[in-house]
This record gives sequence, C-alpha cells and structure tokens, in this order.
Amino acid sequence: MKQILIKIGVPILSVLCAFLISAILITVIGGNALQAYHYLMMGAFQNFTNFGETLVKVCPLIFTGLCAAFAYRCGVFNLGGEGQFLMGATAAIWCASLIGGTQGAAGTVAFSVPGIIVCLLAGLIAGGIWGAIPGILKITRGLNEMIVSIMLNYVASLFMSWVYTGPLRAGSVPQTAAVAAQIKLPRIFAGTRIHAGIIIALVVMAVLYYFLFYTSAGFKLRAIGFNQTASRFSGLHVKTYILIAFVVSGAIAGLGGSIELQGTQYRLMDGFGGYGFDGVAIALIGQLNPVGTVIVAYLFAVLRTGATMMQVGTGIPTAIINIIQALVIIFAVAGTAAVNLPKIKQFLFQSIRKKEAL
Amino acid sequence: MEALLLSTIRMTTPILFAALGELYSEKAGLVNIGLDGIMCFGALAGFLTSYITGSPLLGIVAGAAGGILINLIYAFCTITLCAEQIVYGMAINIFAPAIASFIYKIYFGISSTLQKAPLMSAISIPGLSKIPFVGPIIFNNTLVTYFLFILIPVSSIFFSKTHTGLNYRAVGEHPKAAESLGINVIKQKYIASIICGALAGIGGAYLTTCYIPSYTDGVVAGRGFIALSAVIFGRWTSLGVMAASLLFGFADALQLRFQIIKPNVPYQFLAMLPYICTLCALAFFGIKKNGPKSNGKAYYREQR
Repeated sequence: MKQILIKIGVPILSVLCAFLISAILITVIGGNALQAYHYLMMGAFQNFTNFGETLVKVCPLIFTGLCAAFAYRCGVFNLGGEGQFLMGATAAIWCASLIGGTQGAAGTVAFSVPGIIVCLLAGLIAGGIWGAIPGILKITRGLNEMIVSIMLNYVASLFMSWVYTGPLRAGSVPQTAAVAAQIKLPRIFAGTRIHAGIIIALVVMAVLYYFLFYTSAGFKLRAIGFNQTASRFSGLHVKTYILIAFVVSGAIAGLGGSIELQGTQYRLMDGFGGYGFDGVAIALIGQLNPVGTVIVAYLFAVLRTGATMMQVGTGIPTAIINIIQALVIIFAVAGTAAVNLPKIKQFLFQSIRKKEAL
Repeated sequence: MEALLLSTIRMTTPILFAALGELYSEKAGLVNIGLDGIMCFGALAGFLTSYITGSPLLGIVAGAAGGILINLIYAFCTITLCAEQIVYGMAINIFAPAIASFIYKIYFGISSTLQKAPLMSAISIPGLSKIPFVGPIIFNNTLVTYFLFILIPVSSIFFSKTHTGLNYRAVGEHPKAAESLGINVIKQKYIASIICGALAGIGGAYLTTCYIPSYTDGVVAGRGFIALSAVIFGRWTSLGVMAASLLFGFADALQLRFQIIKPNVPYQFLAMLPYICTLCALAFFGIKKNGPKSNGKAYYREQR
C-alpha cells in the first residue's frame, strides 16, 4: 500500500513542481503564467473538437511510451522507439503503394478492412525487425543496446527521408502521396479527427498489462528486469527473453508508426515522427506501468494540443511545454531515487507508521 | 586527400572532446549518457555568447560553463540522490535540448531567420605548418583543436602515472576501498562531473563557434552517442579514445566529401555512414568489457 502511494505520489508531485517552475519561468520572461495555463487548458478542453485533438495526439505517444516501458521491464533500455516508429510508418506507406492503396495510384482497388490490416501488420513487422537488431547485437556481441538503438534511430530517419525524396516521392514537394481513403483508419466520432487508432492503443495497453502482471511469461520477464544473474541461475533463458522484449517493444513502436500514418498524417514528409524520446520520458514518469504510461502520455498530449492556443493567445512560445515535460522527467526520476535513499526511506516509513499508531 | 584529412580533424574535435569528458566521468564510476544533451546546451551557450560578444573564444568558455551547469544537475541527482545513472542521463538528454531550444526562441523570437555568429579562425603555427603534408593538416587548426593536442597526452599521463590519477581511478574501480584509504569519493565524483560537463560543453560549443556559424535544433546530431561509443571502442584509455574518435571523425568527413563528388548517390545513404561505421566498429571490436569495475553503480556512503 505504502509502495503504491509513493509510486503514484512522486509523479503527481513532479508534475506540480514542473508547472510551478515553468510558471516562474513564464513570469521571468514577462508573461502571465495563470493566463498562459488558462489558454493551455482551453486549447485542450474548450470544445469537443479540441478534446478530440488530444486523443489524436496521444496515439503515437502511447505507442512509443509502451515500447520503452515494455523493454525496460526486462531490464534493457530501448531508446530506439523513434527509429522503430519511423520504420513502421515507412513500411506501411510502402506496403500501401505496393497494393495500390495510395491516392492517384493506377489500380486503386476497393478494399478496406484487409488493406488496413495488411498495412498495419507491415508497420508492426518492420518495427519488430528494426527492434530486433539491437537485441541480437546485445545478446550475441554484448553491445550496449542504448548506443545501437540510438544509432539506428538516425539511420531510420535518413532512410525515411530517402523514401519520401526518392522512390515514393509524389510531386515537387519532397513527400509521398497520401494513402487512399480505403487504407485510412476510420474516424469514430463525427466532427473530430479521433480515429480507431486510440482503440488499438488502449487494447495494446490492456494486453501488455495482462501479460506483464498476470501471466508467468510476464513474471519471468519482470524477474529478469529485476535481477539478471538470479534469473539466469534459476534457469530462465535470459537471452531469449531479452530478444523477445526487444522484438515486441519494436513491434509496438512500429505499429504506432503505421497507425500515425494511416490515422493522422496519411503521408510521409519532413517532420514526421519525433515521439521516440518523449516515449522514453513517458515510460519513466509512468513508473513503467502500462496504465501509468497511458495516463502520462495523455498529459503530454494535452500539453501539445493546448500549446498552440497558448502561443496565439499569450505569445509565449510552444517550447515552454517541452520545458514542462523535461522538468517533469527530471523531478520524477530524481524523486523516485530520493524516496529509495536509506535515510529518506526510513523517515517516510516512520512517519507512516506513526500515523497508523495514532 | 589533404582536404579530407583536414576535415577529419575538424569532425573529430567535437566527438573527441565529448569522449574525453565521458572518459573522465566513467573513470570515476559515472556513466553519463547525457553527453548529447550537454553538447546541445554547450552549443547554444557558445553560439549565444559569440553572437552577443562577437568573440568565439568567449563562446567556447561559455559552452564549458553551460556544460558544467547542466552536468551539475546530473551530478547532484546521481551522486547525492543516488538516482540511476542511465535513466538520469536520458532525462538530461530530454531536458537540455528542450531548454536550449527554448532559450534560443525567447532570445530571437518565435519565427526568425537563421542568425549567424562569427566563427573562430584557424591559426597556423609558424614554422610547423610549413612541414609538407602534415603541417597544413595538423598545425593549421583552431585554438580549440590545439587545446585537444595538449589534453590527450596530459590525460594519458594523469591516469597512468600520477598519484592523483590513480586515486581518481580507484573511485571508479572500488569506491569503498578508496573511501577507506581516505579519498573523498563524493567530492571526487563531483570533480569528475565538472570536468565531464566542461569538456562535453566545449565539444558542443565547437560545433557552433568553429564549425557552422549558426544554431539549429539537432545541431549535435547524435555526436554525444558516437562519443559514448568511442569510449567503449577505445577501451577506456585516452589514446584508444583518440583513435576511435579519429575513425568516427573520418567517417563523417568521408561522407561529406562523397556528397560533393558523388551527387547522384542519395545523400541520405552517405549521411548514414558515420552511424553505421559506429555500429560496425562496436559490433566487431566492442565485445570485451573492461571498463571501470563499479561503473554505473550508485555509491551509498553509509551502506556496508
């Protein structure tokens, strides 16, 4: 119980601290913090369209967040969420163009559900393969998975850039053609851009939660995350689990990429992506719990949605929300560590015990 | 060929600075994967200072100061609060670029054209720069690169031959033993963080004061992580780190050269070269782990 209280308390406190410090920052640069936050919230919740926009923006964040959280549960750091996300999107558009599912393609066929699923699967598989590379290099060559996955991010980003400037370029602007209407994920609320991707995201969250906490394989995976040596001596195939963690984690990010492509952006172009590191931050603030990850992802999405209105209304640049996000992670990680310090732990537990004694 | 090698030196300098910073950090048992973030902040601090004062040299100093500032956050949280170093380094990687980009936008307004600051000019050392072939490559660089030429042998001697250097390494190998011999482990770790922050900050500032005259988001382009792999690839020795950085710098210079002489190859594939080169170098030669023993572990002073 106490553990849970601390686990929930630290992120909430970090969010409050981050908002407080950002308010001071806004005041220093000559803005009105209260007004800025008011516009921020208005931008996110003023009406149903804006609220819908938060649900659109949360999709990619949930996927990259879950990607980072799942790998870290197995004790490996997958920082390659960005690359896997981009490869997923690239595979999805490539697949769409192969089956004639881009706008203006010669043989546009009338297919909806199978076409959507094929493209989503292409993204999933591409992400999984891209995620497998750091996993394989880790278990066979003992390489630091963080460096490998970061390097692969840059490679993936350049590869995507080649795809939309080279083979799949449509028109004079370096971007691909949009996917055909049949390949687009259906919108689920009229008047908003909310698409079926949010449902897939929540299903993935539920599956991961069930897998991690209610199956024996999930338990073993977490055990390896806690203590690799002990797990190896109790007979677990540590390397296999690490590889699985990487592949699944990459597949989640890849699926996120194809959903972002088919649900929101519809085409590859400059500026596609940019969710990978946010995903890592979200996973860490969400205490690596799938549900926590989704909640934090939603907070980030609210900030992203509201930022534009804040910039228009008060002239404070949208970059302030990056500061808020960055401060939340700075505080959350430091806070989690601080409550585990021997001295502070003792103090916390004593004060809780005193309350119980009263 | 000469141009290629000169460009290699230029591309190596920022990587090598960050890598040396990481070396100093890891020798004291602190794995700092926040190098990229520190470099990013250093790049901004360097750019702003040289833009305002018109002196790139002051920019380099400001870059070092900015790097120290950011790394002290890391130091406080990992040394005093015993936060997990990898996780916190990642937090720095998210935090520092955000704050750098924010400061840039506040200073120059939201939608502004690319601002330019003066670049540091190369100084050719009289006499030495006249040596055929070697001279123009090695002795015709900026002050920052010359500083590097001094720094490498000094670090090499410091770690292997001096008493202070051995004490320094003891902190990274076995902090408890070091503490029992009267070395102040916590203080030593803070010193390591300051050195690391300064060097990585200079590496970042080099990019905006000696290499390109402007600051854009993503100017560091993963060089912090390449530096990180240079330390592993260089087996945690100053000379090894230098060799590794030179290799990665060469890959970077090579791809820039190829972009000019082979315009029909998609530039994206050429730009991948430094990253793929880093991956291959690690995959083929990076298997043996012989870093400092207690690298990455938090040090709880009172714990037995």
